[in-house]
This record gives sequence, structure tokens and C-alpha cells, in this order.
Amino acid sequence: MFRKGAERTMSTAAAAKSAPSKKVVFIDGARVPFNLASTTYKDKISYDLARIAAKGVVDRTAIDKNAIDYVAWGTVVQEVRTNNLAREVTLGAGLPLGIPSHTIGQACISSNQAVCTGAEKILAGQADVVLAGGSETFSDVPIRFSKPVRERLINANKAMKKGPAGILKLLKGLKLSDLAPEPPAIKNFSTGEVMGHSSDRLASRFAVSRQDQDEFALRSHQNAAKAHEAGYYKNEVLNVGGSTEENCIRGDTTMERLQKLKPAFVKPHGTHTAGNSSPLTDGASACIIMGDDKAKELGFTPRSHIKSWNFVSVDPFEEMLLGPAYAMARILKANNLTLNDIDVFEIHEAFAGQVLSNLAALESDAWCKENINMDKVGAVPFDKLNQWGGSLSIGHPFGATGVRILTTATNRLHQEDKKYALIAACADGGQAHACLIERM
Amino acid sequence: MQLAARRAGGLLAGATSKAVPAGVATQRTAALSAAATGGRFSLEKVDDVAVVTLDDPESKVNTISTKMQAEFSELLDTLEQDSSIKAAVLISGKKDNFIAGADIKELDNMKSAADAEAASKMGQAMCDRLANSKKPIVAAINGSCLGGGLEVAMACTYRIATSNKKTSLGLPEVQLGLLPGAGGTQRLPQLVGIQAALPMILTGSPAKPDKAKRMGLVNEVVDPHALRTSAIAAAKEIAEGSLKVKGKKKNIVGRILEDNPLGRMVLFDQASKQALKQSGGLYPAIPKILEVVRAGADNGPKAGFAAESKAFGELTQTEVSENLRGIFFGSTALKQNKFGKPEQPVKKLAVIGAGLMGAGIAQVTTMKKMDVILKDVNEKGLSRGLNQIQGELDKRVKKRKMTPYDRDAAMSRIVGLTNESAWQTHFKTVDLAIEAVLEEIGLKHRVIQELEENLPSDAIIATNTSAIPIADIAKGAKRPENVLGMHYFSPVPSMPLLEIIPHEGTSKEVISKAVDFGMKQGKTVVVCKDVPGFFVNRCLATSMAATTGLLVEGTPFEDIDKAMKKFGNPVGPVTLCDEVGMDVAMHVEHTMAADLGVRMTGGEPKLLQALVDAGLLGRKAGKGFFVYPKGKGKKTVNAEAEKIIAKFKRDGPKLDEEEIQKRVAYPFINEALYCIQDEVVATPVDANMASIMGAGIGIPRGGPIKVFDRLGQKWVDDMNRMADLYGEQFVPAPIAVDYAKAGKTFL
Repeated sequence: MFRKGAERTMSTAAAAKSAPSKKVVFIDGARVPFNLASTTYKDKISYDLARIAAKGVVDRTAIDKNAIDYVAWGTVVQEVRTNNLAREVTLGAGLPLGIPSHTIGQACISSNQAVCTGAEKILAGQADVVLAGGSETFSDVPIRFSKPVRERLINANKAMKKGPAGILKLLKGLKLSDLAPEPPAIKNFSTGEVMGHSSDRLASRFAVSRQDQDEFALRSHQNAAKAHEAGYYKNEVLNVGGSTEENCIRGDTTMERLQKLKPAFVKPHGTHTAGNSSPLTDGASACIIMGDDKAKELGFTPRSHIKSWNFVSVDPFEEMLLGPAYAMARILKANNLTLNDIDVFEIHEAFAGQVLSNLAALESDAWCKENINMDKVGAVPFDKLNQWGGSLSIGHPFGATGVRILTTATNRLHQEDKKYALIAACADGGQAHACLIERM
Repeated sequence: MQLAARRAGGLLAGATSKAVPAGVATQRTAALSAAATGGRFSLEKVDDVAVVTLDDPESKVNTISTKMQAEFSELLDTLEQDSSIKAAVLISGKKDNFIAGADIKELDNMKSAADAEAASKMGQAMCDRLANSKKPIVAAINGSCLGGGLEVAMACTYRIATSNKKTSLGLPEVQLGLLPGAGGTQRLPQLVGIQAALPMILTGSPAKPDKAKRMGLVNEVVDPHALRTSAIAAAKEIAEGSLKVKGKKKNIVGRILEDNPLGRMVLFDQASKQALKQSGGLYPAIPKILEVVRAGADNGPKAGFAAESKAFGELTQTEVSENLRGIFFGSTALKQNKFGKPEQPVKKLAVIGAGLMGAGIAQVTTMKKMDVILKDVNEKGLSRGLNQIQGELDKRVKKRKMTPYDRDAAMSRIVGLTNESAWQTHFKTVDLAIEAVLEEIGLKHRVIQELEENLPSDAIIATNTSAIPIADIAKGAKRPENVLGMHYFSPVPSMPLLEIIPHEGTSKEVISKAVDFGMKQGKTVVVCKDVPGFFVNRCLATSMAATTGLLVEGTPFEDIDKAMKKFGNPVGPVTLCDEVGMDVAMHVEHTMAADLGVRMTGGEPKLLQALVDAGLLGRKAGKGFFVYPKGKGKKTVNAEAEKIIAKFKRDGPKLDEEEIQKRVAYPFINEALYCIQDEVVATPVDANMASIMGAGIGIPRGGPIKVFDRLGQKWVDDMNRMADLYGEQFVPAPIAVDYAKAGKTFL
């Protein structure tokens, strides 16, 4: 069954196949410090973080605001007041009023899609310069009334006109339990499953142990803390309110502490815990991309070339978060590259178990043969993977993670003086994304 | 024009735009009736509604003048006589202006109370005619509707205002020491109730459309594009009887307080106390307004109108009103850039140093919708500055003076940079940089050198120093012709004055650009010579010295402050020291003592130093002459300061209030006259306005120069008396002696 699903998988980007004469180049990217939900940004909504990030990257590059043609913005949990968040960000960041802007919702790869949509616009000649980004807040999610209450509130105006009788009629049949509010769904709409459960199942399938996962989580925190300490993020994390500190990162955590945690999703024998899963995080990130011709005209030195990208969809019921394996295999093949050609890997860490399962799949002859009809792709070397931390440690504001990864991958290429970076990320609904970046 | 053309084609028949001139509008309808003579009014008939457009061809705004009233009267004749007209709409042809008020120049020419009373009666008669018209008249208000303009609107049958940000309705007469003289004191309470009317008349602060609708001042608020059609529709419906004009219903509290004599007694008593507290009893218009509104409430409209015109007549002849009008004309005069319009005006400002001043300068710039760079050494300094601005703007949003979007966009127009960011790239497009770094000549030179390396070669470099001569600062520059001083006052967002100080080598074009930019920031700009203290601090220092003298002579702090508030200064000199900071005051004192010599004597130069040494730095330290409780609460006299003062105790006579005023204010006036004599400022108006806007000296008295003008020889004699009594610092300036002798005045 999932095989069929896999076959439907296709690269949506024509760019991945034909070699366009125009290149899409990455000028610079930035993020606000990612912070645990309900901490630093508890009084801010996604829009607030988003405009800081957008303005931050505009100011950093000193780009003429009038040169921006389009704003594409990713977000997942929608704040109803800012329906088209992208538009509000454009206005709130003080950009010219005449910039069309649209919001993209593709779960955790929303801002990857924002970048790629922008890139495709540039290649199609629809825009020269695109501001792409994403943001998320879990500190103030919309909480709805229950359906019975909503129904009555919507009809209230009509009923009120009929006087007291109308109001009484309106209240009829309402139960006390209906008054409890409905938090936003964390379960997938179609599968009815929470992602931690899907990932936990994947880990069992690929025999990824709790020990492996905890070690991977520990490594993530240590890498992130080191990167901050070494100042690698100086050019990437914006100063907000006088600080660039990211409070999800626990550089001093230990295996002992991680192993004490109880399973969070599958109980009692599951392997996914709060320690090896990415935390609820508030954050925003933004970047500026443009055609290489435009960059030359405006006098910018691009930092990287966004060379190739794809989006894939797999069977969400069975392998919800296994998309990155498909996407990575495909992008390598499309570009005639092997894992050995890649210097920098940035893979989104939704769950330690999910990353390790994907890596296991790529290393498995059987899985590769059966699912992508090729020999095993191989082992991703850990010393090239997520060296500056990942979503487990830095945090994972859904809509903002994609641009963070793209920016970090580029900055790592420069820091490590290397050529190719491969980024990959999974998303709810069985979707995934991979992107190949070349240093410029 | 495009819109006008479309209108002519009939596409938008019936619709209107605030910007379409009346002349264009009239082309559309064939049924044109005769326009009144004089050209202010034009009349167009839309079915049986006469649309009357007021558009003064001689002025940017419509005002109420004798000529206007004559033309209006003719027009009303036409309206009444033409039986095909069933209703009328009164609308303005000006952009963002309905009627700005009465012609103040005309008012200034009325030489007696009787003349002014007659003028008021004429205005009342015009409004009465509107109010009594058998045909309904709808006021269609877009833009400023102030003073006489609002009085006309209130006399109409129905009022529609636009939601335009520029639309505001108010009775600002009190700000000129007057009261509304064309029925406003009576019609406003009738429309909105006494409780809502009094603050509007007593403070002169206008209401925005939404508030006007809530309080019942207007009947409808519409989009600017819908004004004309809505007004015509309303006029028609009222004439047909399908729209009944209803007044705002009073709530219970309103009825209890306003609709019986006892309630009104309580109400007016309270209002009177509060107004007295706020105005310090210096403005005769305040009690008059209360009296006149009450006359109407107690004894009916006829008595009210009579009291109004009588009081109006009297108030026009008061010194305070004349003084306030003088200030009004002075501020109008200062709106002219004496150095001419610059060929290439400043577009992008960079402020170096995100301290209190730097952030303030950035704030006023972004609030005027101009881009600004704010740079500090590090993120800590920068975020302090940005937080200051954010906090100020948040306050405005809370008070509904600003929308959240406007705040966010304003914050976004500020580019915050530090030494660590790529600031050089941003500076390539900057044409004015103002440095607001610490007052240290070496540091300032370093900053200027760094700026010159990174700014375009024609960019202006301004220094916000208050202590170092501009010429000395310019010595550190490769292009000194581009250097000048821009001295803002703290807190920048609320202090209206900006002193611009060229040094001898500054080019004319640079001065003109800086003046132009300061005006765009909303500041009143006065150009001063490069002398220590420039103008305001130079004059203020003498007052400060005198204050320290009074203090060591044992005059209580509060007596000094109280006396000076009665003189008309919004802040007493002792409190002022705390506000500006004791260290700053001390610094000014020392600089000025070196420059002015004997004119700075009489004080106790060591006092401020001792207070600074004890850490009594003023409000910013929580204590100075007074102790400032954290959060809310009143300041109290600081016993610690009293102890320090006691160390310098000196014998002195016990002084009455008037003598305290003279001791403190006259040295200021004398120094301001010296500044005129020595051409520190270009004109007496400059000196007077800078004193008012920068130091708030004697506002109801018309400012320091006006005080001299009124007293002349008496002032000189008084100064000589004080010179004998207290010391040489009171010897009057030679120019004062000359003017007094010749009986000349400055203003």
C-alpha cells in the first residue's frame, strides 16, 4: 500500500530537472532567538516575531526595501486575526505597501515551501527579489469554543432579535460539558494520530533504540551550545530585546537525565520522550533570495546557490515522517551526486527517532530496493550532520524551522569552507522536502 | 484630475471626493443657480438640494471673516428665496479643511471690547440664521472644523463628519485667551451636555470623528468619498421628513447634574476647581467660560448668548489674550525657513548614540514617517534606546493616539545598528548624521572622523552637544562646512524647540537643509550663534544662578517654584534642575560662568557641585532637590538637599512672591535681550519664541521679550534697583536701556 503512495511521490519543482540559465541565490538569512513557548515571547503573537525577523534580515542586508517584489511566509497554527500573515508581516515590517504577499501552510516545511515558491517565482520571471520566511508561536494558540457553543454564538444575532424567548431557545440543549474550550488539534486530521506516536512506530520498525535516541538528543544540545559559544550564530540570530540567547538549548544536560524521562506518546514501552522530541517553541526566521542577475545588479555577494529542491509525499498512515529518506535519495539522483559529495547535512530533528529512522532507511539495502528502486544510498556521516545543533535543541517553531535550516546550512558551508549542503525535513501529513545548496 | 475627468463623464455621478474643486463639480449639473458674489461660495443644485461649497480663493484654508460672513449672508438669502430649494448641504472645497476658524488677524485689529462684542454678535447672528432656517442645512465636514467653523457646523440641522485622520472638531479659542464667540459656548452644551462640553471649551482640545459621534457632536461619520452623497441624502430625507434629527439622550448622571440648579452648582463648582488647578489662575478666559456656559444653563439661551458676546469682547482686550495671540503669530512666523528651501532636502537621518536624546530624536523622526538609523556601540545600548521608543509608542497606542499598525510601522522605520553590524553599508545613503554621544571632545572627533569616512561627501554632520563650541567640534572634521549643531531639548518628543547652531564655516545650504529637516520633524527651529549655551541654556543659566542664590538665602524650594509657576512658567526652576539633571545643570552653570562673568554672579556656584557629589542628580536618580517616590506618588522636599544647602547659608532678605519672580526671571530676560543685542539670535521674535518653547518662560505674559516690551523703563528702573540691592548681575543690558529710553518695543 505505501508503495503505491511512494510512486505517487514526485518532484514538484521543474527546476530540479532542467538546468535553468538563471540561478536562485541566497543573500542572507536570520532568525529571532528561538525560545520555549510561554517564556520570552509569551506576550507576542506570530506576527510580532515575524516582523522582527523580516525587518532583521532587511536591515542586515541593507537592501533597498523597494527592491523586494514578493513576500512568501510560512506558518502552521493560524492566528485568526492575521489570516494572511504574510501580508501583515509586510506591513508591520515597514515594507512598501505595494508588495504582494501570501501565507503558506505546509506543516513543518512551510517556510521551506516559502523559499521554494519564491525561487520558482524568480525562475518563472514573476519576481526578482523575494523575502521568504516563517514564524510560529505556541504561547498564544487560538482556542475555540466547542461546536455546540459555536453554533449558538453564530446564530445568536438572529435569536436575540426574537427577545427573551429567542435567547432561551438558543440555550436549550446546551450541556455544561459543552462549555469546555477546544484546544487546537495536535492529532493529524486524517490519521487521527499524534506525530509522536507515528514517529515512535517508525523507530520500532527501524529498530532505533531509546539509548540511540537519547544520545542523539544529547549530541544535539551539545552541538547547539558549542555553536553559540563559538559565535557561529552571531550572524544568524538577531538580537531581540538585548539578547541572542536561545533558551531551549541545554548544553549541560546528561544522558542520565535524559534516560530518566518517561515515554511521552506510546506508554509504557515507547521510546519517545520529552527529551528526545523537539519542544514547543516560539520563533521566526526570514531570508532574502533573488536571481543571480539581480544580485549582480544590486551589488550583492550571494552566500549560496539554491541549486535544486523537491517536495515529496508518502503514506501518512504508515510512514508519516519517513519522507526525508525519499526526498534525499531523489535529489541526489537528480543531481548525479552521492552522499560522499555532500559536505554539510542539515536534517530537521522533529524527533531523534525520526531522524535516525530516516538515516537507517537510507542505509538499508532492502528498504531502498523496495521503496525507491535503487541500491542503498548509504550512511550519512555524523560528523557532517547538524553540527550546530538541530530542532531537538534549538527548538522547533513549525513555520520557522525551514529557513533556519537553510540559513544554517549556508553559514556552515562558509564556516567549514565546503561546497555542497543537503537539507531535509519531514512534515505532518507524510510530506517532506530536500534541497541542495552550493556555496558561492 | 483623473477623478475629475471621470466625474465629468458622469461615471461617478453623485459621488464626490474631498479633493475635487468646486468648479469642477459644478460642470456636471445643468441646473445651476447663481453663485454668490465674492467667489468664496458656489452653489450647485442636485435635485432640490442646494450643495453650497465654501472655497476661499485667497487662502489655503477657509476662515470666518467679515467678508466671508457678508457673502454667506447673501447666499442664505438665495437659499431662503429660491422655492425650488428644499434643503442645503454646506461643504468645503478645500482638502482636509472645513473651516479652520475665525481670521485671527482680523481679531487682532479690534481695538475695543465693544468692537469685539459687536463682531461676536455678528457671528452669533449668522449662526442663528442657520439654526433658524426653515430648510434643513447639513454640514458636511472633512478635515479641520475648528472654532468658528465648528460653531457654524453646530448651528446646522445635521452634521456628517468624515473618518479622515485629518478631521477634527474643536473650539480652541481658549488657547488664544478667548472663548468661542459665535454661540459655541451655548450650542456645544446643548448638543453634548455640559459635562462633555466643558473640557472641550476649557482646554481647546479637539475631538476626532469617532469621539465626536459618541458624544453626539456629529450625527454621522462616513468615508471621505461618501461625504457628499451622504450629506445630500440626509438633506433630502430631513426635508421630506423621513429622517428625524434626534439629539443625544442624556444618561442618568447627566440628568442629575445638568438638568437642575443644584446639580449644576455641584458640576460647575468641581469644574471650576479643576480648571483653576490646571491653569494656575493665570488665564482669565477660564472663569469667563465657566460663567458664560453657566449663564446659558441657568437663564436660557438668550442670556447665554448675551453673556458670551460680552465676555468675548472683554477677553479680546485682555493682556493675556494679546500675549497668546502674539505667541501664535510668533510661532507662525517661525514656520518659515529663513535660509530658503534646500535644493536637495535631507531624506535619511542617522543618529549616533541611542541614549535618551538619540532615541528621542529617532522617535520624532519615525513618527513623521521618515526613515531613521539609530546606531550605538553595542546591542545593550541599542536595545535600551529601542525599548525607550517602543515604550513611548506603546503609551500612545494605549491612549489611542496611535494605531498598533502605525506603531509597528514606526518601529520598523528605525534601523538599529551597532559597531558589530554592517553599518557602513547603511551609511552610504545617509544625508544627515546627528551625533548624540557623550560630551567629550575627543570622542566627538573620533565619531566625526568615522562618519566622514563612511558618509557621502555632501552629508551633514550635526552634533547634539549642549556644552562644547561647534567650532571646536568642527575642527575635527575634514569637511567643516558640513558640520553644525542641532540642539534638541529633553525629552525630545515633547519639547518643541530645536536650536540649530552653525559655526562660522558652515555653508548656507547645510543650514537650510538642517532647518528644513528640523521643521519636518515637527520642531520649531531657531538658528543661534555658536556661543556657550547657545540661546536657551545661556539665558536659563542666569536664572539658575539666581535660583541657587535664593536657595542659600533660605528661600523654601516650594516658594520659588510656586512663584515662578505664577509667573507663567509650567515648571518651577528648582524642579527644573531635577528634571534636566543636577549634573547637566551644573555643567551649564560652569560653562556659562566662565563666559558671562559678572552676569552669572549672585548664585552659589559650589552648591550644584555639592549636590552632584552627594549623588542628588535629580529625577533620574530618584532624588535631587526633591525625592521622587517610585511609581506614583508626589515628590517631597529632600531633607538631604536642605542639609547641603544649609552648609552654604547666606543672609538675605525675606522676599515676597513678586520679588522672587523678579530675582529669577529678570536675569533671563536681561540675557535674552543681550542675545538680541549681540545677535545670538536673528530677531526678537526668535528670542521670545525660543524662550517660550525651550524654557517655557512666562507664557501668559507673552514671553520674556513681551514682558520687557510692556514694562520698558519701569523694567530698567527695577533692574537698576536690584543691581544696587543684590549685585551687578542685575545691571540691565545696554540695548534695554536704549529701547526703554526711546520708548521702543521689540515685538
